[in-house]
Amino acid sequence: MTQRLPRSAIEPNNPRLNASRSAKLPHVPGIRVGDYIFLSGMVPIDPQTGERSHGPIADQVRTTLSNMRHMLESAGSSLDRVVRVHVVLADISDMAEMDRVYREFFPVDPPARTVWSMQLRFGNGCEIECVALAD
Amino acid sequence: MAVRGGDFLFVSGLTAIDLQSGAAMRGTTASETRQILTNLKELLGKAGSSLDKVVKVNVLLHSMLEAPNMNEVYQRFFPDPPPARTVCGARLPDGVKVIIECTVLA
Repeated sequence: MTQRLPRSAIEPNNPRLNASRSAKLPHVPGIRVGDYIFLSGMVPIDPQTGERSHGPIADQVRTTLSNMRHMLESAGSSLDRVVRVHVVLADISDMAEMDRVYREFFPVDPPARTVWSMQLRFGNGCEIECVALAD
Repeated sequence: MAVRGGDFLFVSGLTAIDLQSGAAMRGTTASETRQILTNLKELLGKAGSSLDKVVKVNVLLHSMLEAPNMNEVYQRFFPDPPPARTVCGARLPDGVKVIIECTVLA
C-alpha cells in the first residue's frame, strides 16, 4: 500500500525569520506533510531586523521559541500542538536557565523533549527544532 | 538502515560506506557527504521512495567549520524546495566526519 501525501514548504509570515533563505542555505524553514509539520532547527533571530540576536541564554531561548510560535502559527498550527522538541545548547550548563524560559512557552502538557549540547555555528547559544500536528 | 512506520520511513544515521562491500569510505567532509547522499538515494529507491520525498534531515558534522563544504555537495542532491534540516557539530565515532539521518515519506 503506497499512499501519496502532499509535501509542502512552510514559510513564516515575517520574511525576516526565513533564516535559511536569507543565508541561501539548502533547506526550508519547515515542511508540512500529511498531519504533521517538521521544522528545521531555529536559532535566535531578531524578528525586527532578521539579524542574529545574542545575549543571555534566557533571551536567546525566548527569542527562538517566540519565533517558533510565529513559524507554527504562520502554518496554521501552534505551540500547543507540538509533539516533539529537540533543544541543542552550545553549553549544557545553560540547561536550567533554558528550562526556566521553556516552561513559559509550554506551561501545561508539554511535548516530548530531548536536550543535548553540541557545537553551534555563529556563536548561537541554542538551536531548537520540533515536530507539530498541522491543525 | 530504514524502518517504515505508517506513512513514513525513518532512516538511521548513515556514514560513508561502499554499499556493495560495506567498507567504510573515509575522506573529506565533501566526499563523505557525497557518498552518503548517493547511498541514501539508492536506499530510498529500493524502498519505493526517493530524495524528493525527504521531509526532515539531521546532519552531524565532526566540525561546524566544515558546514560550507557539506552544503556545497548537499544542495546538488535535493530538489527545490529542499527538506527541513538541522545541522550540528558533534563528536562522531571511528573517525567519521559526517552522519546523515532523515525522515521520508514512504
